[in-house]
Amino acid sequence: MREWLGTAARLVTGAVWIWAGLIKLPHPEQSVLAVRAYELLPGDTATPVGHLLPPLEIAVGLLLVLGLLTRFGGVLSALLFVAFIIGIASVWARGINIDCGCFGGGGYDPDAASKYPFEIARDAALLLASAYVAWQGRTRLALDDLIFPRRHPERVEPDVQAEP
Amino acid sequence: MSKQNREQRAERAAALVEERRRKERRRQVLSVVGVVLAMVLIIAGGFLINSLRDSSDDTAAAAEAPGSEHGLTIGEASAPHKVVIYEDFICPFCGELEKRTHSELEQLAADGKVQVEYRPFVLLSRIGPYSEAATEAFGITLEQSGDDVALALHDALYADQPSEEGPFPSEDDIADVMTEAGVSDETVQAYLDGDGEQWADDATQAAEDTGVSSTPTIILDGEPFTDGADVDQLAQNLLAAVG
Repeated sequence: MREWLGTAARLVTGAVWIWAGLIKLPHPEQSVLAVRAYELLPGDTATPVGHLLPPLEIAVGLLLVLGLLTRFGGVLSALLFVAFIIGIASVWARGINIDCGCFGGGGYDPDAASKYPFEIARDAALLLASAYVAWQGRTRLALDDLIFPRRHPERVEPDVQAEP
Repeated sequence: MSKQNREQRAERAAALVEERRRKERRRQVLSVVGVVLAMVLIIAGGFLINSLRDSSDDTAAAAEAPGSEHGLTIGEASAPHKVVIYEDFICPFCGELEKRTHSELEQLAADGKVQVEYRPFVLLSRIGPYSEAATEAFGITLEQSGDDVALALHDALYADQPSEEGPFPSEDDIADVMTEAGVSDETVQAYLDGDGEQWADDATQAAEDTGVSSTPTIILDGEPFTDGADVDQLAQNLLAAVG
């Protein structure tokens, strides 16, 4: 049961990552502007970070959806969500009104303050799901099963038993 | 079967199991390495493609050097640094940048250290008609009243910048700002008659053709200038770079 819950958690979280990454992928300048709007990164580091985030999100999403290195994917996803929650909370606290740029967009948004609570709640829920995946590790319908075959207790080392 | 024989068989079996384990372990490690490599490839590849596709450098390269007909140029062409600032009169970030740099840049330009072109255009028309109206006022002033008056109006418009949420100054309010900045009555009348429209449209078209999609877009010596976490640092770093 837990393993199925883990599967649901990683499919939802992974799909959100892939979707978010794909939307941003065609517009690198926009992605850089969205990162820069947080006014958190020193110098011109917003540029490489803005270029890096979309493919990173897609890669994490793929790990989760495919169930490859599930625990690692869950940890990575959770860390990213922690960073995003800190980012949104920080612009909220500083009174900066920006579109979070989570799914494309970014930059000034006059209605931003009213959206921050929902965005933080959404990211917190996805953080929980990622943490659950990381904690659970093994989930159903995961490609990890091919790399690390499940050992069935009733069939331990069958070839050894065959020896007289 | 002798005892020795049985022991040999057991040993062989154990060796076989051990060999199988070793192979299985090796397969797992290789699989994990493969997945990690694929991840790194996706991330590094995406990063590289994004860096190459980012058009900021192309925009900066395509932008005309200071002295174009779509902006106000201050300072001598012989100055060692050239700065082009694409801006919108309603963009708050531009207003903040102007507050922190306009008198310093004017001083540096007068000292022959930098040549600056302010290139206002209409980016944020979705916010309301103010961006267009202010750009028209600036354009007609630049055409009819010359650089000094245009600079005074440029600074006055930013000093009095309305909030993005409004309320926005009317055309009559802008006309008052023009008069205070020293714009002649004829030019103010020309503005109210809509004679600045052509300049604003041309400037906006030129900025769009160059690929400018956000304001302020600062181009320092042909390269995009984005060094700074916030507008404070950006302004400081820009002044330090040309000072």
